[in-house]
Amino acid sequence: MTSGATAGAAVGGTPVSVPRRVDVAVIGAGLAGLTAADALTAAGRDVIVLEARDRVGGRLLNHDLGDGQVVEAGGQFVGPTQNQVLGLAADLGVATFPAYARGASVYVHRGRARRFGGDIPPDPLALPGLGLAMARMNQLARTVPIDAPWTARHARRWDAMTFATWLRRVTAGTGGLELVDVFLGSAYGGTAAEASLLFSLHYIAGMGDERNPGTIDRGIAGAGGAQELRFHGGSQLLALRLAERLDGRVQLGTPVRGIEQGDRSVTVRSERGTWTARHAVVATPPVLASRLAWSPRLPPQQDALFQRLSFGALAKCEAVYDEPFWRADGLSGQGVFRAGSTVCSMFDNSPPGDGSGDGGGPGVLMGFLGGPQWRAWAHRPARERRGAVLRAFAQVVGRRALRPRSYFEQDWTAEPWTLGGPTAIAAPGVLTAFGPWRDRPFGRVHFAGAEHADYWNGYMDGAVRSGRDTAQAILAATD
Amino acid sequence: MSEVSEVSETAVLAVPAERVWEVLSATGRYAEWVAGVLEVTDHHGEATVGRTYSERNRTVGPLTTRSTWTVRELDPPRRRVDTGTGFAPMHDMTNVFDVEPVPVGDGLGTRLTYTVRYRPGLGPIGRLIDRLQQPGLRRSFQTSMRALEDLIIAEGDEHEGHNG
Ligand SMILES: Cc1cc2nc3c(=O)[nH]c(=O)nc-3n(C[C@H](O)[C@H](O)[C@H](O)COP(=O)(O)OP(=O)(O)OC[C@H]3O[C@@H](n4cnc5c(N)ncnc54)[C@H](O)[C@@H]3O)c2cc1C
Repeated sequence: MTSGATAGAAVGGTPVSVPRRVDVAVIGAGLAGLTAADALTAAGRDVIVLEARDRVGGRLLNHDLGDGQVVEAGGQFVGPTQNQVLGLAADLGVATFPAYARGASVYVHRGRARRFGGDIPPDPLALPGLGLAMARMNQLARTVPIDAPWTARHARRWDAMTFATWLRRVTAGTGGLELVDVFLGSAYGGTAAEASLLFSLHYIAGMGDERNPGTIDRGIAGAGGAQELRFHGGSQLLALRLAERLDGRVQLGTPVRGIEQGDRSVTVRSERGTWTARHAVVATPPVLASRLAWSPRLPPQQDALFQRLSFGALAKCEAVYDEPFWRADGLSGQGVFRAGSTVCSMFDNSPPGDGSGDGGGPGVLMGFLGGPQWRAWAHRPARERRGAVLRAFAQVVGRRALRPRSYFEQDWTAEPWTLGGPTAIAAPGVLTAFGPWRDRPFGRVHFAGAEHADYWNGYMDGAVRSGRDTAQAILAATD
Repeated sequence: MSEVSEVSETAVLAVPAERVWEVLSATGRYAEWVAGVLEVTDHHGEATVGRTYSERNRTVGPLTTRSTWTVRELDPPRRRVDTGTGFAPMHDMTNVFDVEPVPVGDGLGTRLTYTVRYRPGLGPIGRLIDRLQQPGLRRSFQTSMRALEDLIIAEGDEHEGHNG
């Protein structure tokens, strides 16, 4: 099993029967919960963070490669306009390095592999349609109000259809749709057929910031986009450093089961004790928030929304080699696989080695089993899945990929405190019916998390934004 | 009755015969390594005499066909004979795998012989088509056997960890 329970964070705790009093109880020590707790603590509030797992970081998880090197088994890439997470990293002293992107990428279609440069594969049949569709997506996304997509002029029409229905309408053949699905395999853990067009346009509108309108291009791109940079020490280091700074205020191994609130306080219950607070922040994935025992009940609309914001299906499969041998062959290690392949995309995930980004340490290839690929392979014997993944890698970098030094997988659907990944995708009808309930505080309880962000919804940046915004809202509350 | 055609290819694979036998006995897995098998639509797990499995196969260009195979002879871990229907105009299709352990370098290897016999059908035209398609068939057998070798290498030893 991948273990990210490395040093730094953990504060154990003995069960307590007498309710402890704090100003704010934060549920979930992912990036959102920790950011909120950090901001609240900095403002002088007394905070406790209750975390179900025996580690911090949630969807961020470092895998130990030995020799002080790590590679991520969860979220990892950051890029331009993600200033919240980049700012947090700078503040925590966590440096970035460019994800390896030199050399050619490889496009695999119908078993044939072709080298290409840039982010978009050279498919002469699919490309013109895809280019037009991307331009149109960006144009429509600009008309979606970032903080209230359900008020877009065509919101009802767009929320009544899937992203796939729309893509089929605006592109000829299946090439454009299948190439968008390659991206959505890892971005949604699903396909365009599973998400509403309105949700998707809002997601694209959020791939930017207050000054730079979101574009699908920025979401897809390596250099200049969301896959441009990685963190030295692995992304989980952000959470570990935040937990260190919270100095004893994070209690691990404490699944919260219920939340009760009255006019004056909120009580948070777990088997490890009870905390009474003036405010609570639920910073868990939305589905897990809906499964808490609420008293009084969550407003039915909010409950309905949270249940519908279930996660896609995503696993990372990573093979470790003595060196990143593909680089000498002029390959970036990046592969784009059209429908029918074992993985949807793959990347050179080697640790930065000497800091130049040129390796010097082990080489790591990482492939995503997202949505359809996960459904095809997750339930097959582990050995057969490993074989299929490595053969997919070999299509991109050659047969040396068949014999890794080691191989590991992280299937996020198997994680009871996450239930899928990378994020929630809304099916048709959800945003227009329940969207306004997403971030609405319920009495003294506020909601935070990557799924509660307008910009970079579902990403680390969104998680940090949402954590900060939630802390601000609590600090602004008069009671 | 047209004459029987036979296409047979042999390859030496750098993987143990026991694993080759194991993987080629898995009737659900042909789409993973046999060139031209797009999908296994029905199967019975480990090959058993008298039982069947079905496939969707690529034929010419974008055309596909549905075939059903019956396991006829099993001589583990050496020989397996199946007969198939669904490849018209070819009839009386028989597929034979012969598996023989051989040393490869310092390790265990396998000599695998992949043979198909059939009657081409369609009289003289059929024989002409058959002659034209045989080189492609040979290439596809070699591709399949290399894919089988890659698959077995990639699956690693039973004890190799799958979760880090
Ligand atoms: C495979 C994968 C790849 C990804 N790639 C990227 C990427 O490249 N770039 C990017 O920006 N983002 C990526 N993401 C998304 C990114 O990881 C998340 O957006 C972000 O980490 C979410 O942070 P969060 O705090 O909102 O939620 P989480 O990290 O899910 O944290 C929630 C926390 O709540 C805890 N919890 C849940 N229920 C309870 C309970 N009842 N009681 C107590 N605690 C509870 C959980 O254990 C968890 O620690 C990826 C995600 C995955 C899974």
